[in-house]
Amino acid sequence: TCITYSWFCFTVLQSKILLTRPIVASPITFDRLTLTRQIHTPPDTDAPSKAASLHWISERVVSVILLGLFPAAYVYPGPVVDYSLALILTLHGHWGLYQVITDYVHGEASVIVAKGFLHVLSAMTFTGLCYFNYTNVGICKAVAMLWSL
Amino acid sequence: MAAGWLRCAGQRCLWARLGPSLSVRHMVPMATTAKEEMFQFWEKNTKLNRPMSPHVSVYKWSLPMMMSITHRGTGVAMSLGISCFSLAALVLPEQFPYYLELVKSLSLGPVLIYSAKFALAFPLSYHTWNGIRHLVWDMGKGFKMLQVYQSGVLVLALTLLSSAGLAAM
Repeated sequence: TCITYSWFCFTVLQSKILLTRPIVASPITFDRLTLTRQIHTPPDTDAPSKAASLHWISERVVSVILLGLFPAAYVYPGPVVDYSLALILTLHGHWGLYQVITDYVHGEASVIVAKGFLHVLSAMTFTGLCYFNYTNVGICKAVAMLWSL
Repeated sequence: MAAGWLRCAGQRCLWARLGPSLSVRHMVPMATTAKEEMFQFWEKNTKLNRPMSPHVSVYKWSLPMMMSITHRGTGVAMSLGISCFSLAALVLPEQFPYYLELVKSLSLGPVLIYSAKFALAFPLSYHTWNGIRHLVWDMGKGFKMLQVYQSGVLVLALTLLSSAGLAAM
């Protein structure tokens, strides 16, 4: 992957040079600012990755869905809301804790360990919640029963 | 490392194409991505063993600062709480009503029960209301300093009211 990445950089840089032909053609009018602007764009602007931006949107969508699940749990308690809560709660929590790790954990090894641990935790949480929904009273009923104390 | 070598090769290519009329001063290094620059920043920090500049110990605490870290704190706490509940669900032998009966048999006073419910409802309420505040910010609204403080106070008021209300149910 290192080699292919290097070749990609090399070919893109070549094409970037071709794209900057207008600048090359008139070196007298050339100025540093323009060249800086031309060159200081990320190498893969031809095919920008939308992953981060899509992730951000997904986080907000999940947050809104979770907001809706609270009144739904009150008005329509049952397996549909139970399993939806299991999924959305785990996902929202997972993504949140992921950001916390990104903010506070530094160093290649620590990050890998922390993120690995988080994935295991989230997987276990989702499994446990689904198991609770399946074999036990379910999340909505459990909260109702707890609150009736 | 190979990328660094190719960067040098690329630079030389660039110089050749742009011709001798441009001085060396105008040459700039090949672009790095934000991710690469972040990584280099942290590597340099660790290598030089730089101390972290004082932040929480030095800056005057403001309401937005406190509310922000509380939002994170309540989020983390609830997440871990749910994970604990999940683990318990997988590990404990009896069904949920059994353990509820166990708690009921302790005959805890109503004040204690209300306090416990309040303690459970508070982080949920706070995180929910402040979460809505975050979503409003994500829509691009409410960034003026006065609005930030106003929405913050509103969130706190709503939190206290809803926590008290939920605990009473």
